[in-house]
Amino acid sequence: MPDPSPVIELEGVGKTYVSGAVETPVLFDVSFRIHSGEFAAVVGGSGSGKTTLLNLMGLLDRPTRGRVCVQGAEAGQLPEQERARVRRDRIGFIFQFHYLLPEFTVLENALMPCRMRGIRWQAQQVERMRALLDLVGLADKLDARPSQLSGGQQQRVAVVRALANEPALVLADEPTGNLDSKSGRVVFDLMRSLSRESGTAFVMVTHDENFALETDRVIRIRDGHIVSSLPNG
Amino acid sequence: MRFTYFTLSVALRHLRFGVGQSLLTIGVVAISVLLIIYLQTVIGGLQTRLIRNTTGAIPHVTLEPAERAPIGAWRLPQADPGVLYVGETVNLPKAQAKIEDWRIWVEAFDKPEAGFTAVSPVVSGTAFMFRGARRQSVRVQGVIPARHNKVVDIESNLESGRFVELVSGEVAMGRKLARDFGLKMRDKLRLVGPQGQTLSVTVGGIYDTGFGQVDDGLLFMTQRDGQSLLALGTAVSVIGLRVPDIYDAELRAKDLEGRVPFKVRSWIGDNPNLFRNLTSQSQTSNLILVMAVIAAGFGIASILIMSVTGKFREIGILKAMGATPQEIQTIFVVEGFLLAVLGCVAGVPLAIVLLEGLANVSSIGPDGRATPVFDIEILPSVLLGASAIAVLTGAIAAWFPARQAGSVDPMQVIRGA
Repeated sequence: MPDPSPVIELEGVGKTYVSGAVETPVLFDVSFRIHSGEFAAVVGGSGSGKTTLLNLMGLLDRPTRGRVCVQGAEAGQLPEQERARVRRDRIGFIFQFHYLLPEFTVLENALMPCRMRGIRWQAQQVERMRALLDLVGLADKLDARPSQLSGGQQQRVAVVRALANEPALVLADEPTGNLDSKSGRVVFDLMRSLSRESGTAFVMVTHDENFALETDRVIRIRDGHIVSSLPNG
Repeated sequence: MRFTYFTLSVALRHLRFGVGQSLLTIGVVAISVLLIIYLQTVIGGLQTRLIRNTTGAIPHVTLEPAERAPIGAWRLPQADPGVLYVGETVNLPKAQAKIEDWRIWVEAFDKPEAGFTAVSPVVSGTAFMFRGARRQSVRVQGVIPARHNKVVDIESNLESGRFVELVSGEVAMGRKLARDFGLKMRDKLRLVGPQGQTLSVTVGGIYDTGFGQVDDGLLFMTQRDGQSLLALGTAVSVIGLRVPDIYDAELRAKDLEGRVPFKVRSWIGDNPNLFRNLTSQSQTSNLILVMAVIAAGFGIASILIMSVTGKFREIGILKAMGATPQEIQTIFVVEGFLLAVLGCVAGVPLAIVLLEGLANVSSIGPDGRATPVFDIEILPSVLLGASAIAVLTGAIAAWFPARQAGSVDPMQVIRGA
């Protein structure tokens, strides 16, 4: 079966941090592909390099070696300005600490990536975001400020926000790590279903083995090396 | 800078959300703007009044006959035969202290390229004024009235009669002198010059300029009358000049020195203390201005630095989501700019209200007249200048915190909660 073109492809990626004369290699020769609609988990212990991997996939950092291609185009070595544009247009982020903007309402927060792209809130986008917020059970909180929401509710807004620009890839950094198990389950199920419905690829860094096993693929990382990258089931 | 809907809306929302901080900064800017406008207007008005009081009644630059003149070598006593003395000068006798060829000089200074706004040849001296049994010594100036009025404005300060159209046989005098001597319009009086020449004149004009030198003990008459009363023939005593910028007077006088055969004096040279005081007053007020601007700048910078520090995570998240460093910088520069603009919007009307209040404050002078305590003229240029300084300060003060915000590393922020 031919391999459909990947959303993101890492090829021989390595990362070494240099501080003065001290070089600290944290990632070695990492290669894998994530395809459209795929939901993958990155699992590893503390200091294994999974956050570095996520930063490189999210173009927040540049690899020391290798290539990071987003939708077929090399993006890892682009200048900061260009990488910011690729992030804004093609990648959504969900963070452990949801970081909504406190000055804006729930709906405005969800629409923020559209605003960044220079798209004023067109009725169509507002409707789409309303529908998504309704889907995640926040229909009655559209005009609330983030401070008026629980942690789980804020994270659901962050999930919707990550999908605002209809990105090809969503990177989630321990999205359930700061939530109680019930809220964590709600957020995980939400991401899973949104991934299926929208065809957006999700890569989730997690410590939770249970959630990892429910994804399409688990990428295990140890001491900066990928030790396995197997499909589940 | 990237002024987009995104950057402007985030900046505006920051200001609205932190309304307490925003109001505080706007207050600091408003007070600074108020201070700048107040200082410029009140101190500027005070200086204008002092200068007007000093220069209003006198020419800015005066040409007088030289007291000493070079002497021809052939006229020196050859005490030591074979030695030629050069550079000798001699004190001129008093009778020679007059300008005979004044017409040539007046014509020369009248030319636009000479750069003087008014030229007035003046016959000047003292005489006795008689009316019945009363006698008083007065200063007398024989002038070409239309010319002299451009140097000292008498015409618009006339209480009665005329000045510019003063004719031979008429004199103009200050209200105080007329009152002291019991004179009114068309009254006759007799003048006796230093060498006994007499002149019968009528009062043709009474004025009140507010300048003591002109209002007390001075009579104006036509040049011809002055020349005959003071026995000057066809000569004049001094040539008065007015320059467009009174602060230039000393420079212009220095420039003329050596190029004209006269002793050149400027109002600045004649009033060195006043000029020094004005200069030091200007420097003090400028220093206060700079302090006010710096205070406003620090106010804006500190509020924005606090804002940037408090929003580190938010900035990190925006950058992770794809905001460029330029966009983040723009957000904070716009905030500084808006705070400064709003500070001006509050400060300028406050300054106008304050100055208009001060303009109405008056005091009763020794002459029984109510005069305003402050000379206040609210100039649009001062309002605009103060606003421009405040806005520029706001933008500059915001630049540093903005750069700090633009360089936030999202990777460090995201994980470091």
